[in-house]
Amino acid sequence: MTQDVSISPELIGQLIDGTIDNDNAQRLLRLERKDKGRFFQYIEALQQRVAWKEKILLRLGDKLYIVASAPGQRIVKCACGHEFGDYRQNWKLGCRVRVKRSLDDMLTVYDPAPACPEPDIQEIREFFCPACATQHAVEVVAPGYPVVFEMLPDLDKFYREYLGQPLPDEGTDWYQDRSDDVTREWAKAG
Amino acid sequence: MAHAFDNRTQLTPPSKEVRHQTLKQMFEKRDRLTQQTGHYCGVTELTLRAADPIKYERFYNKLHAAVLAARESARFVAASPGSREMGESLWGLATPEGDTLAVSLGFLSHTAIFPVSVRYMAEKEYDVNDGIEDGDVYAVSDGLTGGVPHPGDFYSFVAICYEGEIVGWAVGINHLMENGAPVSGSWATFSVDTFMDGLVCPPMRTGRKLKQESWWKAIWQRRTRAATMNILDDKMRLAGCAMVHDATHKLIKEFGLEYYKRATREIIEESRRMIVDNMHSLMVPGTYNGCAFRLVKYKGLQQIWSHADKNTLLHIRASVEPNDKGLLVDTEGSSRWGYHSYNATPGGADAALFLGMMNSFAHNTKVTAGIELAVQRHYPSGSLYNPDYEFTSNANLWAQTVSLNSIGFNAISRAMFSRGYLEEAFTVDGNWGAWQGSGQTDQGVSYGFTNFEWLGGTGRGAWCYKDGEPIVWAAWSQLATCGDAEEFESCVPPLFYLGRKLLPGYFGHGKYRGGPGNSAVHWCVKPGKHIAVTRPNGGLSCTTSVGLGMSGAYPGPGSFMISARDTNLPALIETGETPRDARELLELVDAGKLEVANLEIWKTDCPELALKDNDLFVDAAGSSGGWGDPLDRDPALVIKDLNDGMAPRYEFTANLYGIVATQDAAGVWTLDADATAARRKAMRHARLADSQSAQDWWAAERTRVLARDFIPEVREMYEQSMSFAKFDNEFRKFWQVPAAFNFPKE
Repeated sequence: MTQDVSISPELIGQLIDGTIDNDNAQRLLRLERKDKGRFFQYIEALQQRVAWKEKILLRLGDKLYIVASAPGQRIVKCACGHEFGDYRQNWKLGCRVRVKRSLDDMLTVYDPAPACPEPDIQEIREFFCPACATQHAVEVVAPGYPVVFEMLPDLDKFYREYLGQPLPDEGTDWYQDRSDDVTREWAKAG
Repeated sequence: MAHAFDNRTQLTPPSKEVRHQTLKQMFEKRDRLTQQTGHYCGVTELTLRAADPIKYERFYNKLHAAVLAARESARFVAASPGSREMGESLWGLATPEGDTLAVSLGFLSHTAIFPVSVRYMAEKEYDVNDGIEDGDVYAVSDGLTGGVPHPGDFYSFVAICYEGEIVGWAVGINHLMENGAPVSGSWATFSVDTFMDGLVCPPMRTGRKLKQESWWKAIWQRRTRAATMNILDDKMRLAGCAMVHDATHKLIKEFGLEYYKRATREIIEESRRMIVDNMHSLMVPGTYNGCAFRLVKYKGLQQIWSHADKNTLLHIRASVEPNDKGLLVDTEGSSRWGYHSYNATPGGADAALFLGMMNSFAHNTKVTAGIELAVQRHYPSGSLYNPDYEFTSNANLWAQTVSLNSIGFNAISRAMFSRGYLEEAFTVDGNWGAWQGSGQTDQGVSYGFTNFEWLGGTGRGAWCYKDGEPIVWAAWSQLATCGDAEEFESCVPPLFYLGRKLLPGYFGHGKYRGGPGNSAVHWCVKPGKHIAVTRPNGGLSCTTSVGLGMSGAYPGPGSFMISARDTNLPALIETGETPRDARELLELVDAGKLEVANLEIWKTDCPELALKDNDLFVDAAGSSGGWGDPLDRDPALVIKDLNDGMAPRYEFTANLYGIVATQDAAGVWTLDADATAARRKAMRHARLADSQSAQDWWAAERTRVLARDFIPEVREMYEQSMSFAKFDNEFRKFWQVPAAFNFPKE
């Protein structure tokens, strides 16, 4: 029950770039129903902002996308061009990782001091792109906590049932968490 | 002995003939029809709306107007600031089964408990023995039988009967100033079980014919420490309910009973459909995972209750999965219940979880039980959210369930970000603060209190396109306000505000930073015979409020408090240099200007702190998280924060955001753009140099996992969460541990 209002490409661009003014942001927030054409306008605007040509299927983060890299391949790709691999495997496992465990380290990102998480109870994990060093994610979790797979989209259901435009390579085995394929290989590597 | 009861029928009037369905029968029908058809009560067609939409909407608007009017009139009966001038109250109208039809402004997700309370009354046959009559008044504050989030939230239910048949319930709710637990206030921290939670009422009749019985007043006077406010709040709830009761009777007379019955079913089904459609229109199907942690620090403080004298690290874990019926929230993997005050019940968990769901999906439809029908919940038995022990405490439930709400709400934000509805995508944090306690004046007047200010207005997390705003937000109410300082001062005679302001730099950092939290300095003057405070918080700073930052930003820091007892404050007052917030207090201490014999910083719940003349009690709460990589922040925004005083420490800010700036004699900061670009480039190189590949990190961490090389609280957290198959499977697959590996009970 979205409505057939149309939002200008300029406004969508301003949202992406963070240049939208408060009046326009409020106007969009107050839409009783969202404009149903937004997704493909959004994808088009995002596609114009990256230097590579692979088709963006979904945006996961500020600089992180699921793209169709080749027929039958859906991978996670950084805005810089770095490819993290199959989107069914948690892309964080392809990152560089830096962990802040001590109070001194934590004090570099939390202030004032009493606001700082407690070492041994918590650690701060920073996940960087191996190529451009963008910080794609932060976890503040207990030591030993499995890395969190924040979002695994069901792309085929989304494109077929939500958008009405099925993907050409849809199949039954896309919507699966295959992160343990990675850790299993790591365990073998010893 | 049995013959002693033989004459019972002569003592009481004979039971009335049941001319209508019992509540239990109504529930059976509701559940069966809803399950069979997938539509609320089997309403597959909105026939009344289709036949005459104007009449249908006029009918609903009269219902809605009744509950809105109830709040806007009745709250002025109240004495407590939270109910009168803040958002800590609500009125609603529900079906006979407790399904919400309409709600006022206020903390609207509390409608989640209505069906829990009524279902309990139905199962226990309240309407059969000895009957429910028009205008009967019921009190509810129990988590297990009433679904109440915590006993400090108190509910009045008024039965609406028409020609002897129960046709609805008017319900009024507010957060009490004090609810009579061993720990004074309205969140009984340090409770070990329900018997320490204060005034806990399973659904119980306290009045007839819209009038409370005399004994009920005695309960407030003898079982709570704020009788005057609580009695007036009780009258407030009932006054609002009476207005809804009256309006409903008039509505039935105007539209007819059959129309009323059918229309109320259609209203809920209509909103259910709209909510499901909104979920479909705004989200991306898939699985969203989130986590959060809380430390319950009881070790050394619970020696009387030896089974509770331990620390517990709580794990809050949830996934969100949109589906054809709406979406599923699965909490499997969260900790087990414990002998502490942070446990939830399914009803209480719903009240938290529905906050984000209502805000996101019921904004353009009638706010009804439709949300409950669209959001499927899995609270595994034995867990923090569904204890298999009937006497758990849930006095401080909100301290962790706000994170459950944040996990769900952030899943929606991620979905809308991916979908392109960026204007809706922001970071949700659930970090609030409050303080509470009791005292006695020199004249011997006892009082109990709660100060809700940092619960009423918190910083909003960063949007994906701009910084979060200060103070404007409260996930639990549309009526964000921190209230008037003078109101709170009048409630707590010895405590005055030395300062009350935003706390600079107190937010999660990112490309866009979170809205700053707040801090106040409370000054104790002439404490009378006694005053003591405690503090229950929705996210204390030994953990962040949520575990995951958004898109490379840091989650908001948790709340904390400082007690500064035995001070030289009078000397500082002479100089005019007194602290206005937590940061200033610590700086004055470091500078040797404020001398404090007993300075304590609390990053977990504090035990009762007695205050004397010139003692200070300082709090900070309501911070929120950022969005995006801090190195992508526009340097001009960093300079603005430096010049606005929102970034009070240049070195910290420059090191985090990678900027270089100079300050002139007037104190104005100016960006050095070239040096900033070079510094950011160097910091990106340093990130790669200082980090390791995920594989190397994993290999090293796995060794630690296999050795169980964690502090006992962390080990126990894993032992508890791995007692649930879903997290056990995730943990084992991630770390590739042998089948025999486990975290044994210690």
